[in-house]
Amino acid sequence: MCELTATTDSAAAAAELCVRQVLVANQLGLHARPASQIAREAQAFAAKIIIEGQGQSVDAKSILDILTLSAAQGSTLEIRASGADAAQAVDRLTELFAAKFGEK
Amino acid sequence: MARVIIRGISVSTGFAIGKAVFVNRRHRSELPRQTIQPALVAEEEARLREAFATVEAELAIARDRIPAELKEHKHILDSHLMILKDPKLAGAAVRCIRELGVNAEWALEKAVAELEKAFGVLDDLYIRERLQDVRVMSDRVMARLLGTVRELLAVEGRVIIMAHDLTPADTVALEVSKIMGFATAQGGKTSHTGIMARTLGIPALVGVSELEDAVNDGDLVIMDGVGARILVDPDEDELAEFNELADQFEDYQRRIYRGCQLPAETIDGYRVQVLANIELIEEVAAVLDNGGEGIGLYRTEYSYLNRIDLPQEDELADKYSDLAAIMSPRKVIFRTLDLGSDKTIASFGTLEEANPAMGLRAIRFCMQHPELFKTQLKAIARASAYGNVSIMFPMISGLREVRRAKAKLREAQEELRAEGKRFNQDMPIGIMIELPAAVMIANLLAEEVDFFSIGTNDLIQYSVGIDRTNPHVSYLYQPLHPAILRSIKHVVDEAHQAGIEASLCGEVASDPFCVPILMGMQIDCISLSPQAIPGIKRIIRQARMSECKALLREVLACRTVGKINRLVRDTIFNKYPEELTFFASLLDNDDLGG
Repeated sequence: MCELTATTDSAAAAAELCVRQVLVANQLGLHARPASQIAREAQAFAAKIIIEGQGQSVDAKSILDILTLSAAQGSTLEIRASGADAAQAVDRLTELFAAKFGEK
Repeated sequence: MARVIIRGISVSTGFAIGKAVFVNRRHRSELPRQTIQPALVAEEEARLREAFATVEAELAIARDRIPAELKEHKHILDSHLMILKDPKLAGAAVRCIRELGVNAEWALEKAVAELEKAFGVLDDLYIRERLQDVRVMSDRVMARLLGTVRELLAVEGRVIIMAHDLTPADTVALEVSKIMGFATAQGGKTSHTGIMARTLGIPALVGVSELEDAVNDGDLVIMDGVGARILVDPDEDELAEFNELADQFEDYQRRIYRGCQLPAETIDGYRVQVLANIELIEEVAAVLDNGGEGIGLYRTEYSYLNRIDLPQEDELADKYSDLAAIMSPRKVIFRTLDLGSDKTIASFGTLEEANPAMGLRAIRFCMQHPELFKTQLKAIARASAYGNVSIMFPMISGLREVRRAKAKLREAQEELRAEGKRFNQDMPIGIMIELPAAVMIANLLAEEVDFFSIGTNDLIQYSVGIDRTNPHVSYLYQPLHPAILRSIKHVVDEAHQAGIEASLCGEVASDPFCVPILMGMQIDCISLSPQAIPGIKRIIRQARMSECKALLREVLACRTVGKINRLVRDTIFNKYPEELTFFASLLDNDDLGG
């Protein structure tokens, strides 16, 4: 689902942009605990990762930022990652959402 | 006279004389704003990034050095590390340097202030805790920037460590053999510093609010862990006096310590079990060293605090089983979770309660969260296969609660059976008696359980209707109030009537003035902090049951607490003059009138 937008022909890893939509499926929404899970996982990747939703765009590596998103159950968000390991990063974060962060 | 005498809360007793060394300070809020020349902005930015990186590296090392039994502290450090790596904090400060051309210190302070402004309005416990993390971490980075960091490992000579606050990350980095005492401006009775100091057997004061203003690095100070004070720049006389006291104290400690492995038996042959209250498994060493005959109260809350997720059954079962196995064949009593409005779990959020002490806590909280409760019950039951394990439920107010809690335990045991996991089917079940309602129906409750444990700290507060931390009414916190003595005696009598054990686990159990009275009531078992055990055992070994009974009779005939306090103090002091010099009694600051 990743679209390779090669801006230049140089390094292949340079500008991979990966976008995926995710659903906030857990009952309590994107509260403190899931937010910290996202930030912790995101911090492990080199890619720049943005989460967009409710007209806001936040840094996935910042728990403080994610908390301002206050996304409720049922809302749809978009994960946008760019950089060498963007694809893996998006995959990993999507898994977290799909697993409802281990909640109900 | 000393230049100044400051006071705090003593969390570990003893005396120390030495040089004050600050490992961190609250930094002054008026950090100068300096303009950085455009050519040097990149350098300033690098300076900030380097400070962040250094602190991160330090923390990562501290995290790896944490011993397995202190796993809980890892979660605190993890949470600190996450904040340190958070682009919102470092990134905002860097942007500030770039855009405004200011110094790193000012930029960092501004970034923190903005975060506090943005999140401070949110009334969410978890976010408030993260903001505290932000403060703690930015203070560390700031200390790096300002060059006020002391290399802890390079501390010279024997010193008294002072700090605004000590986090587990700080204490892990300390070389303990050089430390003679701790003092912090922040912190309360249950802070980590206290546990650390008691384990090391050195004095510690927390909540010394004037510490940073009154003490300078390198000042000569006397730490008086008995009187909960610090004498700054003492004179010759004071030095002589405290040197003498410190010697006497050491001598006394050595003497009581020598006899601490002997049984707690009166001269006329009455035997009491002396057990320990603990919170962390690492305290087990102190329990055994000090002659504790078992664990009378294992507070299980710690594994749940300071972390985002909940501990799972296997994690708890491992920890509990370790404790049971290490102590075996000695008894370990697990108290189920006493959490609620004052101590909350991040994943459950907070409740709006006007009166948290009377709110949804302890057994009530557990009943509202059956899954959380069952996880713990299963873990405790699994530990029962590895040693002499008992379980007890806190804050019981009536029969129905006991029956429901027992049914839950049964359920947990059934599940374990189905899963093929081992447990002791006859694990003794007890309850805490800490509500006046439970006192009144002790005879009914006794039919349901194998033992009572009287929690006097709460019982006193609920009986006289006060919060002891409220300075306006704390004078009413009187352990020897006739109503309290009658309550305790009633519970012990009812327990014995029903043929079950009565034990007591409040601070009263470590009070030399109260213990002889409890003995007179024929209490079966007392449970106290490990460090208090040798002294109390010695008092018991010098007592006679006949004298204790006579004292109890006299005390019960008194009509006011003032009269009781006077009588008890005279009697006990005559019998154990030396013993009492180094004991802080709950009766000490009593108004003896009334």
